[in-house]
Amino acid sequence: MTNSEHPPGTAAPPPRGRLAERLLPGGEEPDPRFTLANERTFLAWIRTSLALLAGGIALEAFTSGLFIEPVRKGLAIILLLMGMMLSGGAAMRWLRVERSMRNKAPLPLPFFVPLLAGAGALTAAVVLVFVLLR
Amino acid sequence: MASGAPRPHGDPGLQPERTALAWGRTMLALVTASAFFLRWLPTYGPPILMLPAVSGAAALAIYLTQRRRYRARSHGLAGESIEADLSAVLWTAFAGVVLGALGVVVVVTG
Repeated sequence: MTNSEHPPGTAAPPPRGRLAERLLPGGEEPDPRFTLANERTFLAWIRTSLALLAGGIALEAFTSGLFIEPVRKGLAIILLLMGMMLSGGAAMRWLRVERSMRNKAPLPLPFFVPLLAGAGALTAAVVLVFVLLR
Repeated sequence: MASGAPRPHGDPGLQPERTALAWGRTMLALVTASAFFLRWLPTYGPPILMLPAVSGAAALAIYLTQRRRYRARSHGLAGESIEADLSAVLWTAFAGVVLGALGVVVVVTG
């Protein structure tokens, strides 16, 4: 695998790992500040995902007096699956943003923002209905 | 604030510090989640212990690499070149996915 895309007269970029060459090919190194900002955003999503995971586990254990079992388990599993998707999606998004920055392309839209907002509103509505009807 | 740029990287936006703090927050969130999972041991029984094992290991891994990461980043920024930390991102996301999968198993079987 050759890495001779840089124009002549400029310094060769420092060697990168094989995984980095495969998953983040081409382009040029973005401003290091952007790389760090992308990483912090990724970590913020990971913490959100952890909150969903902890919430899912707590919901199942905590609400046995409030919900019938299928609703309880269903909501817990929805939260856990959303936490999983968010963790995986955060890494995917980090990769796509990093690729866009390498190629100086527009940043991708965060597709899971509306998804997360919708699911959050739905969960809150279900809880509200159950609390009111209890 | 004293004049002159902070050392050793000279970045007035303190990017390496902010990124190290973001990792630190994530580590604390993992520790909190571990304690939280342990809290439900009486409800779920021993299978729930798989979760704090994963989240605790992830927190420990971050703790043990913090110093090295900060050092690499602050020196990298001084030379205007930081390599994206692909493996840290992938491992962290993997831990989240595994936690979710184990959680589903525990909820379904519990």
